[in-house]
Amino acid sequence: MLKLHDVSLSIRPSFPRRRESRLSTEELVESPDSRLRGNDGMKVILQPFSLEIAAGQIVTLMGASGSGKSSLLSFIGGSLDRHFHSSGDISLNGAKLNDVPPNRRRMGRLFQDDLLFPHMTVGENLLFAVPALPRAERLAMMETALERAELQGFADRPPHSLSGGQRQRVALMRCFLAKPAAILLDEPFSKLDTELRAQMRNYVYSHIKARNIPAMLVTHDRADAPDGGRVLKIMTDGEVRDV
Amino acid sequence: MAGDETQVETGVDVTRLIALLLCLPVTLLLVLPLALSLLFILPSLVDANGFAALLDHPQFWGSLRLTLFTGITSTALALLLALLVVALGATSASQTAPLLAMPHLAFAIGLGFLIAPTGLLARLIAGLFTGWTEPPPWQTVQDANGLGLTVALVLKETPFIVWAILSVLNRDDVKQAFAGQRRVARSLGHGEFAIWLKVLLPQILPRIMWPLVAVFSYGMTVVDMALVIGPGQPPTLANLIWTDLNDGEVLANQRGAAGVLILTGMIFALLAVAGVGVSGMQAALHRFYAAPARGIASTGMTFPLWTVFRLVYFAVLLVVALQSISGIWPFPNLLADQFTLKAWFRLMQDGGPLLTSFILALTATIAAVLACIIWFETTPAKLDRIVLVACGLSLCLPPLLIGLGQYRLFLHVGLTGTAFGLFMAHALPVTAYVFVMLHGPYRGFDPRWRAVSDGLAAPSRNFFFAVKLPLLKAPLLAAAGVGFAVSIAQFVPAQLMASGRFSTLPMEAVTLASGSNRALLAAYGLALMVLPLLAFLLASHFGKPRWSAR
Repeated sequence: MLKLHDVSLSIRPSFPRRRESRLSTEELVESPDSRLRGNDGMKVILQPFSLEIAAGQIVTLMGASGSGKSSLLSFIGGSLDRHFHSSGDISLNGAKLNDVPPNRRRMGRLFQDDLLFPHMTVGENLLFAVPALPRAERLAMMETALERAELQGFADRPPHSLSGGQRQRVALMRCFLAKPAAILLDEPFSKLDTELRAQMRNYVYSHIKARNIPAMLVTHDRADAPDGGRVLKIMTDGEVRDV
Repeated sequence: MAGDETQVETGVDVTRLIALLLCLPVTLLLVLPLALSLLFILPSLVDANGFAALLDHPQFWGSLRLTLFTGITSTALALLLALLVVALGATSASQTAPLLAMPHLAFAIGLGFLIAPTGLLARLIAGLFTGWTEPPPWQTVQDANGLGLTVALVLKETPFIVWAILSVLNRDDVKQAFAGQRRVARSLGHGEFAIWLKVLLPQILPRIMWPLVAVFSYGMTVVDMALVIGPGQPPTLANLIWTDLNDGEVLANQRGAAGVLILTGMIFALLAVAGVGVSGMQAALHRFYAAPARGIASTGMTFPLWTVFRLVYFAVLLVVALQSISGIWPFPNLLADQFTLKAWFRLMQDGGPLLTSFILALTATIAAVLACIIWFETTPAKLDRIVLVACGLSLCLPPLLIGLGQYRLFLHVGLTGTAFGLFMAHALPVTAYVFVMLHGPYRGFDPRWRAVSDGLAAPSRNFFFAVKLPLLKAPLLAAAGVGFAVSIAQFVPAQLMASGRFSTLPMEAVTLASGSNRALLAAYGLALMVLPLLAFLLASHFGKPRWSAR
């Protein structure tokens, strides 16, 4: 269970006017009237809202480019740009996460780009995520992950020799190898072509369900949302609403 | 390094203290010594004796004229040639690296062997065309007008400006924008030449302003190169000052210090004049930009100017290598009567300068790279500005000015003539170069790598050593290569700080340049060339990605 309680985000006034924040995969453009300004001069990005995501549930968050949806994922993952001000609590399975270092939060993340480490083979990329265990066990886990990605025998291949879909499958398996307690999906399908997209969605969602962990998906494409899943939208004033 | 950024409410003071400690390496290697050095110059500003003595110097006005001529001409010609090189099709900034790696001093030594009346060029002409039996009466090196020095400066600075232009042009955003503007201008009926002149050039020039300032400042103040290839009676102003600074007499020192200040002030004044001139020309320039298209098609002129440059550098390397193993070499002969490794044995036997230069370069580079890594890993980006200003100052202010201030500072704290003082004198410019080169790659490092790594529960240590360092490998090694080359080439601060107790390769080479052992001079010249070249080759070899992607 991933819980957000009274979470809100705002940008410090010193935030450069057109600064691309690659962490949130979208350009944060200041548009003077679209956001409320607090009495401290902070520009409100997300108005306070609360949310609970149960194990195995995938909640979709939609919003225009620059609406702050990716920044919310960064806040949950612990890598929010320091120009942001955040408030509210995040908790995972009952434990508060706010002060936990990002690499101990057990929050897996997938981005638009697969972000496989380009200097490592596919196998090394997977091993990077495998916890410290006897070598034979680690290798076995890597092989199992390759099988699940339907990429047996690809361990020694450099990532750039794989197709986009194959790389995204490796990225998902790498994510799972670290045994995440929740997963944050930041438009992971938007760079794939239409045919591949449907396949990848099914692949990703079935694996998340099988793992039975909460997931939050950020996208601007309604079709990405899993059937029957909860869909939220960030309005222009920063309010988060069910749609 | 790469510590977890946990916000601890209590203990802010401890965090602050640690943060303060971690920005110390860069501060101590670069910012603080530079600031204090400049401070120690100030007393000379009000030293009337020095200025009076300088104006009374019989060679002052002649030197001044010479310096103005060589400095301004070489900068203007180098800019012109660099623009031509780029307009004629040079595209890869990395191609300039081996040329940049060659120290100015070594280049001047080699060029001398090439174009001097007894040089290889005259021998070639004699053998092929004229049948000279005596060296021609060429005024090519140490000529009274400083033409040899100007040519050497032009040839050495052009690749640097080419590099500066190409690194602007090769930025992804600039590349795209320029390609679009080119298409539009073509469709409006402008020829290639007009597009260059009216559309691209006005956008390029402002962006290479600082490299140009550095080139101009260098050309006006260069010492080692001018000692080898420049005129002697009168010498350039920088060398007039240099003699005074190395003089044992107090009044000579005062006169030298006054000269350093005059020279620096003159550079500022000329830059200001240039600035005013450029803004005064704006109206005329804009009329020119808005003039109708004449539809002159590309002249179709192609000339491998860049190849010519590379050939010149290759020839310089070759002639130095040849000279270093040549015994007696009577004039019109194309090759020496006998070849001998005597000069090399001598260089190895002397050992000291080679070893000192090598150790200094290695330690200064390692210290600078580590200091910069620690800085970028721990210090907020907004403080970069302070260091960048220090970098700009140390790259654009005359080495004579910084060197003199540093000498006084180190004398004050008892560091002149010590190995540590010598190290600090080398580490300052090295740190400046390394910081400038690492700033972009480090601050532009995609933060999503960290986010992904954190999502995989990787300890910070693993992220730093297995992800970040390998991904930054190429710029780190390139910066180290440049730092090494910069250290090897240091002359002014090295000579002042060594106080006769240490000798480095450039110091030895300058001494030998006024002697008669050409083979030994060549051997030192070649050592000066080979060390930075080796560093560059190693850096580009180990900086290669594991796979050539896509």
